[in-house]
Amino acid sequence: METIKTPTGDTIYSKTLSNGLTCFVLPKPKFLRTYGVLSARYGSLDSRFRLKGSGQADAPIGVPAGIAHFLEHKLFEEEEGNVFGRFAEWGASVNAFTSYNQTSYLFTTTENWKGCLTLLMEFVNRPFLTKENVEKEKGIIVQELQMYADHPDHRIHTLLLENLYHEHPVRLDIGGTVESVQSITVEDLFRCYNTFYQPNNLALAVVGDVDPKETLQIIEANYPAWTKEQGAIERLYPEEPRGVKSDWVEEQLHISQPRYLLGFKHEPLWQGEDLLRQQVIMSIALRLIAGRSSISYGNLYEADLINDSFGASFNGDPQYAYSVIGSETRDPDALHAQLRTIIDGLKAGGVSASDVERLKRQLHGAHLASYDSFEYTANRLISYYFREMPLHKYLDLLQSVTTEEVQEALVRQLDWDHATISIIRPVINND
Amino acid sequence: MKFIERELGQGVRLHLCETDKFKSLTCKVFIQQDLKGKDATSTALLPLLLRRGSQKFPSTLHIARELEDLYAAELGSDVLKIGERQILEFYLQMVDPNLLPEGDTLLERGLRTFWEIFTQPQGPGDRFVDSYFEQERSTLEQDLKGLVNDRRSYALARFVALMCADEPFGIYKYGDLDTLTQLTNGDVFEHYQNLLWKYPVDIFCVGRNLDRVAKLFASLIPSRDRTTQLETATKIQVDDERFFEETMDLNQAVLAMGYRTNRTYLDDDYYALLVANGILGGFAHSKLFMNVREKASLAYYVGSNIEGSKGLMTITAGISDDKQEEALQIIKEQVTAMQQGEITPDELEQTKRGLIGAMTSINDNPAGIIDRNLIGIVEGELRTIDQVVESIRRVEYDACIRVMQDIKLDTTYILRPQSTEPKEQEGAYHGDH
Repeated sequence: METIKTPTGDTIYSKTLSNGLTCFVLPKPKFLRTYGVLSARYGSLDSRFRLKGSGQADAPIGVPAGIAHFLEHKLFEEEEGNVFGRFAEWGASVNAFTSYNQTSYLFTTTENWKGCLTLLMEFVNRPFLTKENVEKEKGIIVQELQMYADHPDHRIHTLLLENLYHEHPVRLDIGGTVESVQSITVEDLFRCYNTFYQPNNLALAVVGDVDPKETLQIIEANYPAWTKEQGAIERLYPEEPRGVKSDWVEEQLHISQPRYLLGFKHEPLWQGEDLLRQQVIMSIALRLIAGRSSISYGNLYEADLINDSFGASFNGDPQYAYSVIGSETRDPDALHAQLRTIIDGLKAGGVSASDVERLKRQLHGAHLASYDSFEYTANRLISYYFREMPLHKYLDLLQSVTTEEVQEALVRQLDWDHATISIIRPVINND
Repeated sequence: MKFIERELGQGVRLHLCETDKFKSLTCKVFIQQDLKGKDATSTALLPLLLRRGSQKFPSTLHIARELEDLYAAELGSDVLKIGERQILEFYLQMVDPNLLPEGDTLLERGLRTFWEIFTQPQGPGDRFVDSYFEQERSTLEQDLKGLVNDRRSYALARFVALMCADEPFGIYKYGDLDTLTQLTNGDVFEHYQNLLWKYPVDIFCVGRNLDRVAKLFASLIPSRDRTTQLETATKIQVDDERFFEETMDLNQAVLAMGYRTNRTYLDDDYYALLVANGILGGFAHSKLFMNVREKASLAYYVGSNIEGSKGLMTITAGISDDKQEEALQIIKEQVTAMQQGEITPDELEQTKRGLIGAMTSINDNPAGIIDRNLIGIVEGELRTIDQVVESIRRVEYDACIRVMQDIKLDTTYILRPQSTEPKEQEGAYHGDH
């Protein structure tokens, strides 16, 4: 059992079991709630792969887009109905979510956390998939996709990624498309399940007023035996050109005012600690442009070119990396021209050391505060583990970041030759 | 998690919850008033105006930099609607100063900054800065027009406005566009001063060293001898069911159904109403979720909730446009089934446990510990988490049937896609596999 001290004085315990499952426990004395999450290192990006040493043919397997998310829906189903009712017997709630590279199943409870934890491990390891229940799920998932399609923020993000990338599956909606979802079969689902849900591709985290030793014992004693194939997963990605697919795209939707989203496609050069460092550097760099304390925020707001929705983020993974900056705006073209001036000004040497120091203070406080959220803390333990990012080094990394590094990142990463602008304008109504 | 209450003057109450459980200090100030046409819009402007600058921090930039210096303190303001009251909220959340290098001085600095920003706006003293006023009026105008961007919120707002057109509850919490164009800077400032000094104020704090916090608030808030009396929510008898349909360029239809519950927070059987609502549509094991989603595959989301001050139960669902008749029928069947006594012991027990679990969990969340008191301050009766848990525990089968028999459908609303042709916009992805 390994331990790590958090900067808020708590201790994180971790252990990799003999079946390959990695577990984290964060005891939170006095808290009444327990949160548990079991995650597979498997998301919407993993639609072409090979399982080495499994006896399967060596040919790469391709499956329809949206299958990780489809499986996430289906694992709740049991022969006798669904698993919601069984958690409900303890007043617990259970849920799940899928991202580009992770599928997570979670519960939160104030009663019988041991039962919940055991049930979580049980239902994720016991798929009940039939032709009928897979067909039935399609109607629900199509309604979920339709709900997102009606969401302007979701739509503009999708539009941007479709044009930032040529081939990489990050350009596809996590849920897939109506067509791809309709084409998913029981066999596809089992093939993915058998490949990606082997214990050495999973991680489990528990946060609450629990004893770490006892928690690890419960997991070890109750984690179902894996009798299916095992092997090294090789994820296959298409060759992605360095350039963007298209540098300017527009669409219309029934909305009140235009939306603007600028994306920069970065070369994915970082892994592990480097990736974490890059995240910190980019957080600071993007706050200089879109943070509430930046000069540019005030100027753009005064010019009535942005509103509260103005924001920026860096999204990094060993496989892909991009940054986005965007807002609702009355005039996307004017906002674009202004942002260009602001970004070019910062790139030309406009980063001040005092701004960087102040933003480091802000990130320091935000990091401490983040440990109050069970969900955020547990999910981050797992997502950092999957990407081999050392969470315990966060504050040291933050302190060591220099103004020069921020300056250099702006110049290198916010490169107009690798940028896409996506705009959604209101539909012009004739009625 | 219990609050100790102290009176800081007529109508000004301080509620303190001393605990070292969290890594943060959380304070919220609530000022309540009756929900009224002109005032609602004026109040909605205040959070926008106050963040623009105070006497000490004259611009958004100055405020933002002060908050960063306070190690990412979060400070904000919003407008809430509970029953027929509109509530102006100010909040502060900062890292527990004991965890930080500068420690003690940060607590006082944080609280003083908080109070200064919300009570000493930048301006000549009888109005807000004119340019700030004009700009924030346009921000609110965009926000009100922008409601349409979130289809579900938009449908719900339209539904409430139509169902409660003749009651204060029909007023949107951020007011309306017509009033907005008529408001002057002077009007809004006057309303702001009235609110600050003449309406009921409740201040809640959760964290460590609250004695110091209490002393500081006591020194900052001037005493008063009178506070404005507020109205109670209007009660309505339903005559005929109403049906409204509107259209928009959409992929999915949004359905909303409003029932008058004829029971509110202060009535007997209020917790039976919460349990009955949970059985119907409050959980993933509920009747609506199981029947509309899991069995019939008609929706991704479907559920129901209770507005306990006004006495409304609202059912919402996102459904395919060609399936609305089917969905409506299944929903009504579930309500009828409950009225006829179809509640299994499992449903009752699971729902009670679910509600108790959710209520108990609030103890772990400082903002939640505070927010759950909102209905209590509106209705004039605060209840502890333990009291609520006990009330839920005592709810019986008969009471759930009784409260369901007393609900009455008032309005059904559907926001439908303009054309019934299926959309093809996802087609671009096709052929990649």
